[in-house]
Amino acid sequence: MAQMWITMGPQHPMTHGLWTLRVKVDGETVVDTEAELGYIHRGVEKICEARDFTQVTPYCDRLCYVSAMTWANSYIYAAEDLLEAEVPVRAEYIRLISAELQRLASHLMWLGAFGPDIGNLTLMTWCMRDREMFLDLLQELGGSRMHYNYPRIGGVKRDMPIGFADRVIAKTKLFEKRLDEYEMMLDESTIWLVRLQGVGYANAESMVEAGVSGPNVRAAGVNYDVRWAHPYSVYDEIDWEPAVEKPTSVKGADCYDRYRVRMEEMRQSCRMVLDALNKIPGGKNTNYASGDEMIYTKAPTRAPEGATGFSNYECTRGASQFYIQGGGEGRGKNPYRVSIRSPMFITIPYVAKTMIGYKIADIPAIMGSFDPCIGETDR
Amino acid sequence: MVGSISLEQNTSAAEASLAAINDRFGGSGIDASVQNHSNAKKYAFVRIVCPPQHWLALAKWMKYDLGVNYCSMVTGTHFPDGPDERGWEVAYHFLRQPIQDQTPNTCTVHDVNALSGMDIPMEYEVFIPLPQGDSPTVPSIQSIWVGADWNEKETWDLVGIKFEGHVNMHRVLNPNDSPEGFHPLQKQHKLRYHDHNEMYDDPQGFMRKPADEGRVK
Amino acid sequence: MAEAGENFAAFNSRALVEMVGGVTDEALKATRIKKFLGVLAGRYFNWAGRKSLFTLHLGIKCCAIEMAAAATPRFDGDRFGVLFRSSPRQSDVLLINGPISKKFADKVVRLWEQMPEPKYCIAMGECAISGGPYFQSYNILEGVDTVIPVDVYIPGCPPRPEALIDGFGLLREKIIRIGGAPSVQRASEKPVIVGED
Repeated sequence: MAQMWITMGPQHPMTHGLWTLRVKVDGETVVDTEAELGYIHRGVEKICEARDFTQVTPYCDRLCYVSAMTWANSYIYAAEDLLEAEVPVRAEYIRLISAELQRLASHLMWLGAFGPDIGNLTLMTWCMRDREMFLDLLQELGGSRMHYNYPRIGGVKRDMPIGFADRVIAKTKLFEKRLDEYEMMLDESTIWLVRLQGVGYANAESMVEAGVSGPNVRAAGVNYDVRWAHPYSVYDEIDWEPAVEKPTSVKGADCYDRYRVRMEEMRQSCRMVLDALNKIPGGKNTNYASGDEMIYTKAPTRAPEGATGFSNYECTRGASQFYIQGGGEGRGKNPYRVSIRSPMFITIPYVAKTMIGYKIADIPAIMGSFDPCIGETDR
Repeated sequence: MVGSISLEQNTSAAEASLAAINDRFGGSGIDASVQNHSNAKKYAFVRIVCPPQHWLALAKWMKYDLGVNYCSMVTGTHFPDGPDERGWEVAYHFLRQPIQDQTPNTCTVHDVNALSGMDIPMEYEVFIPLPQGDSPTVPSIQSIWVGADWNEKETWDLVGIKFEGHVNMHRVLNPNDSPEGFHPLQKQHKLRYHDHNEMYDDPQGFMRKPADEGRVK
Repeated sequence: MAEAGENFAAFNSRALVEMVGGVTDEALKATRIKKFLGVLAGRYFNWAGRKSLFTLHLGIKCCAIEMAAAATPRFDGDRFGVLFRSSPRQSDVLLINGPISKKFADKVVRLWEQMPEPKYCIAMGECAISGGPYFQSYNILEGVDTVIPVDVYIPGCPPRPEALIDGFGLLREKIIRIGGAPSVQRASEKPVIVGED
């Protein structure tokens, strides 16, 4: 039978973003693939050279738009490395809470987009309904549903509102029960299991070789999480465990393992948020004014030439890193070079190769299970 | 409660790596040091400055003898006003992740406090300064780390640094039909409206030209 | 009428239809019923079209997430008839929700040209209106209206789902005005901006 190339072009309901996946098929079996990125390449790295350090934060929100708070935090840590800023402990706790709430919202968005790929349209409505709970909480903190511009170099923009902690606890406890409902619906569904198990094997060695990180590699039994390996913030003071999934096959992790790892991560995030609210210094129902030393320390605004800053952060989709060089325009007020390492940029070519050998119908399952977000890929 | 890598583990790992590098490459122009971050927990990492001719040897040794298994990031920077020997710089960031010898079908839950020696995660930063000129070239490490592949493509695409020995180099973020030699992150390319000359400086439109009266944008 | 090689003796239905159509057409035009029927049919199609705006399933960047949120239970665009279709051939509205890069510009034009008339375009978010935060970028067009005509602008970064639904509402009001006019004849229309009173 003749082989032909099919273009799953930029406009496609299942690619979760704007990229082209060309697959070479022999009948129904995928024989070769090619990924093409760059459809929303915005040149953020170049634009950041013409912005102040504080003005770069909104651009980092918009890198991976589904998980904005974690990317803003990631940049802020690099800027704090460059400018040598101190951060008060309460601010670190608030950053942790906001990052974990964002991780919950992002995983729900993933599940809400992944379910319809497999055919489960109910998941879209359920997950988006639950995601709205967390978006409301993040809106109280940051002011907007999606791009908050919340962390500052040296702290956070403003403290948690009064009553925020009670709302977080109520919604998180409700969500933990909802997670049981999801698992009941999905893990007992034959269609879900048949479409996900045995599909898209990716083994640990090849993933680490290729530079994949985050939940994708934890699904293959590798316990590597930046939050304990290169610790930052106050993750070592609160009660949590990285979600690692033991793969059921020697061939590696299949789509089902990657789905399970994210469900487990959602439970861990709930646990982290509840524990952090108990341990936050200054109490969970106090609201300090913006700029108060409990939540913000004034940081230097200029970085000399030759100074560098680097941050390694566990974003929702993997390990994101920022490398910033100082000494830019405005006599050091702007960065000279901002370099962004996106976990998905490395994972997507790897995912394209993972699909070889499976059927066309497995492509959305494999692609969705790796959770692509093209905003951070194309920068 | 999961433990984290402690400061002692981290410092000892950094010192051990530094000793190994100096042992093997000391005095050959490769300059290694242990630096501390100024953010988060202020942990240590290893910074290496390496001239381009020694880079391949250092890279192979790092991968196979130092256990650095994860190539994270490749950054290219253009310094048109820099010194003669540093007109361009390629910065590599690597990680050593404790996942060697992953037994299939197991789940390696480490006892973090028991990690020691080469199992402790460590960050490595390698700077390769290149002389001023129009064609900066660096040997490619595509054959050593798979993760370096697309990173090098992106660095060439945006900055213009050539990677010698890189197979199948192509544009990855810019359009495929971008002009030859167009690498936007070089400093001679300016952003649109960079000097705010072409834009109206007043956002409220008080000084609009008469021909633009009534236009929405 | 009849093509070469056709059997003259056989019943030629095409010729019959053309003859009947021509006679009826003349009769209707003379009594001005044709114009009346045309207005009625136009109004009906206009009503049907604006009550069921099928939007192309195109997600470019962040505003696509708010577009998805507008389709979900809390904001529910489906009750307004807004449904997402995968193929441009089956959709009425092209909702641009992100910045257009040089690589994607000709694909957007191709999608627009693939859509059958009557078709409308909504530019959602700052990036689609003017390039947004990336207006200085070397790779982003300054607004999607540099390549295709836009009917409604929805400012915001990202606009809330309520703003998107309001944008659809304003598009419906615009459709009452312009009816099924092909998009090429709408260049002189003043663009509708959500939030402008």
